[in-house]
Amino acid sequence: MATANEPTSSSNHEFLNKQGKIFKVIVIGDSNVGKTTLTYRFCEGKFLDLAEATIGVDFRSRSLNIDEEDITLQLWDTAGQERYRMSMIRHYYRNTHAIVFVYDVANKASFESLNKWIEESNKHCLPDVPRILVGNKCDRPAAVSTNAAQQFADQHNMALFETSARLDSQCDNVEAIFLTLAHKLKNQKSFLPPTSIKVDARNARQNKSSWCC
Amino acid sequence: MEHYEDEISSIDEESSLVNNESSWERKSEDIRVDEETDDNRSELKFDKELESEAELEKRKLIEEALHSKQTNLTTWQNLAISTFGLVADDLRCKVWPLLLEVDPCPDEKIPSLEELSTHSEYQQVVLDVNRSLKRFPPGIPYKQRVALQDQLTVLILRVIMKYPHLRYYQGYHDVAVTFLLVVGEVLAFRIMEKLSTNHLRECMEPTMEKTSYRLNYIYALLYKVDTELHNFVDSASVGTMFALPWYLTWFGHSLNQYKDVVRLYDYFLATPPLMPLYVATSLVVQRRQEVFAEGCDMASIHCLLSQIPDDLDFEEILTRAGTFYKKYPPEKLEYLVTKRVQKELDQRKREEQIMRNRQNKNKGLWLRINNSVPAWLLFNFKGKYGLLFAAATFIQHMTFAESRTY
Repeated sequence: MATANEPTSSSNHEFLNKQGKIFKVIVIGDSNVGKTTLTYRFCEGKFLDLAEATIGVDFRSRSLNIDEEDITLQLWDTAGQERYRMSMIRHYYRNTHAIVFVYDVANKASFESLNKWIEESNKHCLPDVPRILVGNKCDRPAAVSTNAAQQFADQHNMALFETSARLDSQCDNVEAIFLTLAHKLKNQKSFLPPTSIKVDARNARQNKSSWCC
Repeated sequence: MEHYEDEISSIDEESSLVNNESSWERKSEDIRVDEETDDNRSELKFDKELESEAELEKRKLIEEALHSKQTNLTTWQNLAISTFGLVADDLRCKVWPLLLEVDPCPDEKIPSLEELSTHSEYQQVVLDVNRSLKRFPPGIPYKQRVALQDQLTVLILRVIMKYPHLRYYQGYHDVAVTFLLVVGEVLAFRIMEKLSTNHLRECMEPTMEKTSYRLNYIYALLYKVDTELHNFVDSASVGTMFALPWYLTWFGHSLNQYKDVVRLYDYFLATPPLMPLYVATSLVVQRRQEVFAEGCDMASIHCLLSQIPDDLDFEEILTRAGTFYKKYPPEKLEYLVTKRVQKELDQRKREEQIMRNRQNKNKGLWLRINNSVPAWLLFNFKGKYGLLFAAATFIQHMTFAESRTY
């Protein structure tokens, strides 16, 4: 059973002591779909009222305890404007453990852009990196049907979640999205990048038996 | 007026709703390119701070210069660079245009809203302007703020329409809003026009490659002025992205206190275009102890640096940046930058190769399975599940063979 620690502010550096395994998750999608509010909701436990346009990349993290193991999700919240996608975000795909694609359910264009984002991510990440799809702002009239989104998600082998970072009632839902991802990451032992593997006898043996492709 | 971020959260509910309504949906008559509206800028100021004795002395110097006839560009530059800069917004309003040598000639035709809204960047600009609430004085009446946001949208679009080779970037609105609040829309247009074609020109190119390249100057300079810190940050592969908003917005996006933003703008208006990179480096040096206290890890250092504390001594940071610039002007750093960029490129190529190899390895595995299965099996089970079935048959066959050996 997963228990989530109290959300910790990213400026709190004490989390470093007990952060356990760190998983880097990159959050991408069009401008104004709510990437910042979504990651803020998960990491700070509340709605960010005065969200600004993200310039480059912002970083938030949260420690979780999953099956009695401490892990940390590092969420990299990226800028949505096309020019940032073309020149800047590629730096952030390095050593990414998972990708969260976000679209705005009330904005069809943001759903249609997903193809571009997926294509881009395929250039930089291996196909076994877990990907999830989040339709945000479900408190608004939907322009993208759940059916269409589900079909798209199936096609690309992703889990689909619809939520709203604004609604407090959806708080558990946002929590569930990232916990699902955390579980998936924790259980997918084989794909830690070489840089984050500490070489000691025990790990070395584990690495040998794991299959990395 | 410390921590206006805190105060701003208490803005009445009405205004926080606007954050979500894209003014896309707003009726066009709401957007007034105000001709009749009076200049009400004095009401829009952030709470005025009490000026210290030293600041009052500086104010006197600036006022004297404004009345003197023997001033030139250097006079204004020296005043803007030296301690306390231009002190307050009433003086900035007069001196900023002089620093850029722009004059307000208000006779230029302002494009109509219809023209503006057909621009390909219109939607993006409106989205960003609507989300720029943090940059306005706390407690500003709702209607006034909306009017200012409309002016900001018009201001940005006017510049990029007049200069079609310039592209809007997220963060440009952070620069524009600072000028709009201090000098008003007529002069702000002149200033933005001048900056966009000079200081910010590279940032407004179709791609961000040049911007990306420029950020490497921070590492080149850091190597020269604090090699130990450079090596620490570099070995953690922190990259340059923490400084991207600093460079693109002249720190306007990253500083919590309005007074620090305008002080830095005094400085940047009086110094060469690459100065923000020197100030960025100086700021990193200022925080070197904190950086070393972090683990040698990309995420924690990036996180630490990208959040600028409110209590930094910016006068000290600026003075040091000025010294850096004198000692290591951009041309003296160029070779280090080229070297670093080449190194990064090689590294990326290596990583891409590794990616390709891993992807090919997957394909290779498939081929190997394919080849090890007898042709007749593949021939019979070509369909989607054929291979699976073939594999199952194959394994069964193996198990059978194995069991026979016992």
